Amino acid sequence: MRNLRTGRFALGLAVIAVPLGLALLGPVFAGGPGPRAASFTLGDGHWLGTDFVGRDVWRQVSHGGRPVVLTALAATALAYLVALPIGLVSALTHHRRLEELLMRPLDVLLAVPSLLLILLAATVFSPGAVGLALLVALVNVPDAARLVRAAATEAAARPAVEALRMQGETWWRMAVGYVGRSMLRTLAADAGTRLTGVLYLVATAAFLGVGVAPDAADWAVMVDRNRTGLFVQPWAVVVPALLIVTLTMGTNLLFDAALDKGAGRGALARTPESGSTGGTIRRRTVKEVRP
Amino acid sequence: MNQEKDTIVDPVAEIRDLCVEIDGRAIVDGVSLRARPGKVTALVGASGSGKSTTGLALLGEYPSGARVTGDVRLAADGLVGYIPQHPAAVLNPARRISALLTDIARPQVRHLPRGRRRGAARERVLHALAEAQLADAETLLRRYPHQLSGGQQQRVVLAQALLLGARVIVADEPTTGQDALTKSRIVDQLAAVAARGIAVVLLSHDLDVVRALGDDVHVMRAGRVVESGPVHRVWLAPRHAWTRELLREQPEFTQQVNSAGTERPVLRVRDLTARHRDGARGTTVVVRTPELDLHPGECLAVVGRSGSGKTTLARCLAGLHRDHDGQVLLDDTALPRSLRNRTRAHLAAVQYVFQDARAAFDEYRPVLDQVARTAVRLRGIDDRAAETEALTTLSILGLPQDLVRRRPGRLSGGELQRAALARALLAQPRVLICDEITSGLDTVTRRGILDTLTALVRDRGNLSLVLITHDLDTAALAHRIAVLEAGELVEQGPAQRILTEPRHPFTSSLVKCTPRLEAGTGR
Amino acid sequence: MSGLRSFVARRLVLGALQTVAVVLLVFALTEALPGDAAVALAGDQPDPARIEAIRAAMNLDRPAWQRLADWAAGLLHGDLGTSLTSGRPVSQYIADGFGATVLLATLTVALLVPVGFGLGVLAARHEGRLVDRLISSVTLAVYAVPEFALGVLLVTVLAIQLGWLPPTAVGYGTDLLGHPAALVLPVLVLLARPVCSLVRLVRAGMIDALAAPYVAQAHRYGVSGARVRYTHALPGALAPTAQQLARTVDWLLCGVIVVEALFVIPGLGTVLLNAVAERDVPVVQGLAVVFGVLTVVLNLGADLVAHRLAPRAGVAA
Repeated sequence: MRNLRTGRFALGLAVIAVPLGLALLGPVFAGGPGPRAASFTLGDGHWLGTDFVGRDVWRQVSHGGRPVVLTALAATALAYLVALPIGLVSALTHHRRLEELLMRPLDVLLAVPSLLLILLAATVFSPGAVGLALLVALVNVPDAARLVRAAATEAAARPAVEALRMQGETWWRMAVGYVGRSMLRTLAADAGTRLTGVLYLVATAAFLGVGVAPDAADWAVMVDRNRTGLFVQPWAVVVPALLIVTLTMGTNLLFDAALDKGAGRGALARTPESGSTGGTIRRRTVKEVRP
Repeated sequence: MNQEKDTIVDPVAEIRDLCVEIDGRAIVDGVSLRARPGKVTALVGASGSGKSTTGLALLGEYPSGARVTGDVRLAADGLVGYIPQHPAAVLNPARRISALLTDIARPQVRHLPRGRRRGAARERVLHALAEAQLADAETLLRRYPHQLSGGQQQRVVLAQALLLGARVIVADEPTTGQDALTKSRIVDQLAAVAARGIAVVLLSHDLDVVRALGDDVHVMRAGRVVESGPVHRVWLAPRHAWTRELLREQPEFTQQVNSAGTERPVLRVRDLTARHRDGARGTTVVVRTPELDLHPGECLAVVGRSGSGKTTLARCLAGLHRDHDGQVLLDDTALPRSLRNRTRAHLAAVQYVFQDARAAFDEYRPVLDQVARTAVRLRGIDDRAAETEALTTLSILGLPQDLVRRRPGRLSGGELQRAALARALLAQPRVLICDEITSGLDTVTRRGILDTLTALVRDRGNLSLVLITHDLDTAALAHRIAVLEAGELVEQGPAQRILTEPRHPFTSSLVKCTPRLEAGTGR
Repeated sequence: MSGLRSFVARRLVLGALQTVAVVLLVFALTEALPGDAAVALAGDQPDPARIEAIRAAMNLDRPAWQRLADWAAGLLHGDLGTSLTSGRPVSQYIADGFGATVLLATLTVALLVPVGFGLGVLAARHEGRLVDRLISSVTLAVYAVPEFALGVLLVTVLAIQLGWLPPTAVGYGTDLLGHPAALVLPVLVLLARPVCSLVRLVRAGMIDALAAPYVAQAHRYGVSGARVRYTHALPGALAPTAQQLARTVDWLLCGVIVVEALFVIPGLGTVLLNAVAERDVPVVQGLAVVFGVLTVVLNLGADLVAHRLAPRAGVAA
């Protein structure tokens, strides 16, 4: 079992290495903009050809990962920054009014499809990269806050919290020291799925032209703008599309493998005597023991 | 009953030299037993002694990855039924009661013409439910498991085994955690099963039930049978030291005749009415207690069936349930309803020990740290001194230093419950409330905890104890008993009086089934 | 079953409130236009005549609450307003795009359920073996991939390199049923994410259910393997799955917008994207209300199904 997990971890790393490396380091070695050539040509010193306005595809690709990754990371962090206090306070408060006030508006937001909300805002504001990060964070807040609240409520209802209250512990020590600590695993698992969801939204919004300039060096924008030349110069579309695919796949595989590892360790620590009677019972073929 | 005659009857199931090993560790080590028709074969032992693994071997089930040697033989048509500790677990929450029952009956009607199968299967199902003494079977079949009471669930599971035509029924801890009335009902049920000529294999750590029901008993420890024989012989003349330890008498609190009643009560409850909020539908009253006193150095047992409101009463006293009217007076001052409004002195004076010790500890911090915090927070002494004091208290309660420096995951249930006691005692409480603290534990561990409690009341002169329990045997240790039924305090008085001459009909019904359990069912 | 009835009632009230809130939210967002709304909407060519026209069309000189009242009253009568750019009624835009989108969605859902459950049960049956590992890895990997990237790659390989399928639906107009080949790629791409999510949910639910004591009891009492799987374990696995269906609804709506853009299908998504590009506020508002209400209704349905399957889970409305 251990080998299998390590294998999956390695697979995730292998898949994500190229797009992530390119996204983080690409701009460092790609250099400044070269001269423009004719659009959608191959060869002639451009080993991935040129794009719809005659720029070098390889150079665009090197620059195009950073906005996707950074916007996604910022949006995920922002979403938790808002969701954590809302969820924690509404779970631990004794005032039902406050809880309703915090959670009910989020229920409404949850009813609107995420991409629709982003498009709606785009009609009105024409957001930049920062605006896109804020929007994506906003559509993630309701779900994240509900998750935080559910996890915190569950932890706060355990006898351990009442035992702490009987000991006269302070609110902070219970909220942060116990409830927060018990929620970490749930949050880590959620952060993984949320980051992949955010990556999806950021890339899709960019593909639809939200939050990016029409000629930006951005993988999603490249896929959109270079589609017209798909028949003559497929590399300008295929390469950025592949990078997005591997980036999202890799993130998901990596988090899944990492969380599985963590879960295995946690379970082991909790039930040291799992071998005794209560363990999982599987039916065996009876013939082996009944001669 | 005749000893020689019994051995002549062929067993319907037999285990010979069964060994079950997981990762080189023997869980069951050379166990042999025979289940004879109409007899109850009991396997007794603490949890982890291997009795469940042995019982499941009769069903052909073993823990995954186990290495099994030995013989399990069943009679030719040896169908085996299974009654688990929690009947709800084997009932599918997403299907109606009829689903599995009909599927069990289906193969039995296969010889009939297609058109008559459905009716015949239904007939058989209804017959089995009637045999399991379930009234109104027609409507019951359309229900989902969660719509049934615990007793009905247990009977449905029994009906499954009867419908199957089982010759052997394995009952795994059927009475654990049940109150006396439920227990005696289950005992009657199993006795009726045996009376039908079915071999019952009873796995239990409840000695009263084993004594009441069992014909043969096998005492297990660490995977081995240390002693076996007819129940009456083992009870009268146990041969193995472990059996003697198991059967040892319970401790008793020293009865103090003089002080109770004359001294000022330490805790007084006046006109208490506690409610539960039922979501949007408003509130229901769960406990009504007009008057209840607790004297210094006294042990008061609050007895009731599950759902009688005894835990809610205890939580009101501790300030954990704040939705109540009336007063809880410590000496002469009224305690605030909620913990948040109680001062440190209030908190220290009334301490609470939870039923589920494992859930009451933070799994990420060493036990010692958590225990010591009480002294730091409630008595304001510094960390070093608190740790020293915690270590002393823990070692008095039988927990060595290297054990308590570990996290709760490494301690057993009984050890954690002692640590929880230590945690409460560090507050130097005047009232200690123990909520069913022994209900999840096996006989020997339970007795150990009760010994500890007895010693505490004896040694700490001013400590008063409130024991919340469903178990009259545990309650019998107390000086006084208060009986709760459906939220009403129906009777209270000296333990001796309540147990010998109960005045309320409910108390007498409760008291009646306990001696019957102890005396056996007269077979 | 008064419990069920009160649950439905509470859930319906919540749904109605959500609908009202969606309408308010849509209106408030367009209210939040910075500065003079008409100038902002006129865009690159701030032609005074056009600004005046927009101002008149949106009644910008009247107070906000009156416009909201008018708009909401119109919504109740099915009047969604008129487009700023063409002057055509918004309902006509929706009518134009409705057919294509409904066709796409119906096909997708019709394939989603059998494929999702089939693969999920298959993987759970062979837990830990090659089939399971294959299904699990592929669903895990594909589940995170944006439709546009997956779609573009599929088009490149299947349509351009191999020439098996048409790369877009250009030229077919709304008569998509007449050209089923043009529908293959869009439906495939639209299916990818929801199928993966459903397979994973069903697999997890089935593995839990198959390990449950009640399944062991059914095996013990001689019920056949297939019967245990499909009539005892699967119903137990359904309840948690149904509760997660709501998220799939959201994905489908997002996916429809992207897929229509990618394959140039004249559905509601394309109408929405065009309106967004032209800042045609009434059309965007109208579509947002339609999509929003649709989501609320579908979520409501998913919750009711989940409640029916798991009567024990008193899902708080």
